[in-house]
Amino acid sequence: MNSKSLRNGLRSGTIFSVIIIFFFLIGFIITGPALVAKLFGIYVQQGAPPDVSMLAIFLGLLGLWAGIMAAKPVDSDTYFSTGGAGLAAGVLSGLVSGVFGYSFGTLYAAGIDMRNYLSNVSPPSVNYFIFNQAPLVGALILLVLLSLSGLLGGLLAKAMRGERRRAFSSNLRDRWANLKNQPLILKAEKFRWTRYILMGLVLILLAFLPTQIGSYWDYVIGTVGIYVILGLGLNIIVGLAGQLVLGYVAFFAIGAYAVALLNAPRPLDLLVGFWVALLAAIVFSALAGLLVGLPILSLRGDYLAIVTLGLGEIIRILLSSDAMTPFTGGPRGVPNIGGPVIFGLDFSNDIDLLYLILLFVLLAIFISQRIQNSHTGRSWVSIREDETVSKATGVDTFRSKLLALALGAAFAGIGGALFAVRNQFTGPEDHGLMVSINVLALVIVGGMGSIPGVILGSFALKGLPEILRELDNYRLLFFGALLVVMMILRPEGLWPARRQRIEKASPEEVLEPAEKLEAVPKPVDPLPAKGEEKT
Amino acid sequence: MVGQPTNHEKSPCMSVSKNITLQSTLNAGRVIRVVLGVLVSAYLTWRLIDVIVIERTYGPDTWLKFAISGLILGGLYALIAIGYTLVYGILSMINFAHGEVMMLGCFGGYFVFEALNAIPAPSATDPKLNFLNAPPVLSVILAFLVGMSVSALAGYFLEKIAYRPLRIAPRLIPLISAIGSSIFLQNAGEVMFGPQRRSYTNPVLFSRGAGWTIDVAGNPVVITYTGVLTFILSIILMIGLYTLVQRTKLGRSMRAVAHDKRTAALMGIDVNDVISKTFIISGALAGAAGVMFGIHLGIVYYYVGFLPGIKAFTAAVFGGIGNIPGAMVGGLLLGSIESLGPAALNIDFQLKDVIAFAILILVLLFRPSGLLGQVLSEEKV
Repeated sequence: MNSKSLRNGLRSGTIFSVIIIFFFLIGFIITGPALVAKLFGIYVQQGAPPDVSMLAIFLGLLGLWAGIMAAKPVDSDTYFSTGGAGLAAGVLSGLVSGVFGYSFGTLYAAGIDMRNYLSNVSPPSVNYFIFNQAPLVGALILLVLLSLSGLLGGLLAKAMRGERRRAFSSNLRDRWANLKNQPLILKAEKFRWTRYILMGLVLILLAFLPTQIGSYWDYVIGTVGIYVILGLGLNIIVGLAGQLVLGYVAFFAIGAYAVALLNAPRPLDLLVGFWVALLAAIVFSALAGLLVGLPILSLRGDYLAIVTLGLGEIIRILLSSDAMTPFTGGPRGVPNIGGPVIFGLDFSNDIDLLYLILLFVLLAIFISQRIQNSHTGRSWVSIREDETVSKATGVDTFRSKLLALALGAAFAGIGGALFAVRNQFTGPEDHGLMVSINVLALVIVGGMGSIPGVILGSFALKGLPEILRELDNYRLLFFGALLVVMMILRPEGLWPARRQRIEKASPEEVLEPAEKLEAVPKPVDPLPAKGEEKT
Repeated sequence: MVGQPTNHEKSPCMSVSKNITLQSTLNAGRVIRVVLGVLVSAYLTWRLIDVIVIERTYGPDTWLKFAISGLILGGLYALIAIGYTLVYGILSMINFAHGEVMMLGCFGGYFVFEALNAIPAPSATDPKLNFLNAPPVLSVILAFLVGMSVSALAGYFLEKIAYRPLRIAPRLIPLISAIGSSIFLQNAGEVMFGPQRRSYTNPVLFSRGAGWTIDVAGNPVVITYTGVLTFILSIILMIGLYTLVQRTKLGRSMRAVAHDKRTAALMGIDVNDVISKTFIISGALAGAAGVMFGIHLGIVYYYVGFLPGIKAFTAAVFGGIGNIPGAMVGGLLLGSIESLGPAALNIDFQLKDVIAFAILILVLLFRPSGLLGQVLSEEKV
């Protein structure tokens, strides 16, 4: 074991001690093991600590990871050095968390409650952290557990390294290629109706789903659907036209309030009916997009982001201010928004509204798909890539950007209207900055400019948190961390747009084997050069 | 500090784009902008004349009160704005998480006061005395030191973890990363310290509301000790920072890196080190602002950094982003406008944030380079 591996070990140990202490401070030291228990199918009451064995597994996994991280970049590649690095990481993190656990344990045993300052460090969680033992015993358990798992991680990293791992991954890749080259699948890829049949299957599924899955899942899928619509709208503005708008919630709010004020008994009592109100919502938000866009779209990049952020905040403050209360209901919002009525029949229960949302989702996907490949869509992409060149090649950049903003705003209006109608209520609290950030994040996490990416992103960011209810307290925390990690590891998103994939890939990857090209009958976009559109 | 020079590859296109811009001088955007400008200035003149000449809503003492609180707030904004401007000057990115760095500093000072308050230090005259009040000046200094160090550390690690791996990425990507860090820090604050608003425990000497009373037009106007402390300290810090940037070796290398990173690296400047130090300095200033915020306004909770952060960014843009005196002037002006504005226009005080944002939008529309900024090429704006 040389000094370099020791240094790596200590470094990884420091990082993981900070992580463990952070987990302890935010109370995740109970939630994490509860998730582990859920993985094993053991029922744990919400908020109550599970069995200590789950904590051991949770911390053991962390220690293992620390060991693997520590062993990664060691020069002399022996079991001795990697194991040493892992052990060093484990011992350091074990020492730090042991000292931490010991001191907090003694503090709590002495009856000093820190909850006034650290709201998640409750006596049960402190007790749980030291394995429900006396402070010293608990600290020793922590030290031994983390050291052993760190050592194991270091050894494992060496065992998994090099030839063996390469062989493993190439084996996987071969199998995947075999699976893909099965005659049946190749034939299916060639068969032009496959797409339509798949789409039909999805449609049938969507038609039957809402009545079958129960109201909770209806609610979740409805939320995801609304965010798909919002995401597709923002995708046009940010993903295609490349204009970073942080005040998207303004258009969402205009849509929601248009429907609410036109079709609720209080404060204005207009009651024009849902469909007229919906149409008005779309028109108003698109108009707002135009009006806002006219003066500000000549700004670029960060400045546009901040101006639109300011606009979103202005709308929210205005909505909740006393001055506007007679018109907008003020801080208390607008209750009792009427639902859709067709031929005198009321269609406003959850399932009908979910169908309505799904209908609009399909419409939004259709419009996005069509416009993305049209002349307009291509001029947007050229603006995104280089606005000056795009202008020089004859694209009316200002008009294109304005159109993108208006269309995206219209989508936001639809989303806001559906959101307000489904909740039968809208208020200033629904229109905070977090809506804009959520939508932007799902577009980026999914992959900018990619329609399937937006759908995937909505499921990941709005659907997953509903499934993992344990993480409710930490949702935004993980959300922020996820954004940073995504930007560092995979800035193109989970499901990048095809064009970007082609641009990112090396030439060999795109033009690989000849038979692969034959398998795809219609040519993929033939590598359009930047700013090629001359129309 | 100035931004990077324009990209040379694009310069041939620039002339073409200028021609096109000339052709479409009369496009709708410009017309709207002019109309908007006329409307806004007409409205402002009408309200000002109405309030000051016709109705005489407020007496001179009220105006003085507003002006004082505006200046104090402005000092805070200026300190935070300097952080934005330093980072923008060097990396051309908006450090969206800067407000959260300030929040952490605010909590740092809060915990120092709470801890000192819990330590008894009985003296002969006062047996109930605790350490917070025994040497009040010392405990305030300690709070500032801790708050500034916490924020400086936060800034350092923020850059190292969230921004450094993205140095060469397209501009949108570090901005998203910054938004992500902002959400992360804010919610880490909420989950760790709880969502409730806490009130700052000041030393008795600096209790809020206590101060010198002066008489203006027959009415008392209180100049609080906390306000004076805040204002003087922010001015001292600003002068210190300006000297640091203009006179020291570190300041010179910061300016060099802001001007051109590659050339600076060729001249033997450790660019990463300078960037780290910039984040440390801007973090420390934000931490000082956070502690001042706590001492003067008396609230601390996880959301405390968000609005001041956005407004300080507004101030930085107002003064010309990338320009340090601009950030100072912008901060002071924004603070004054924010506290005088609702009174001057005779509108609801709830809408003071709207005024700040409206200023941001108007400045960006009519003078994107800010009050003191150099005129940037269209490419950069």
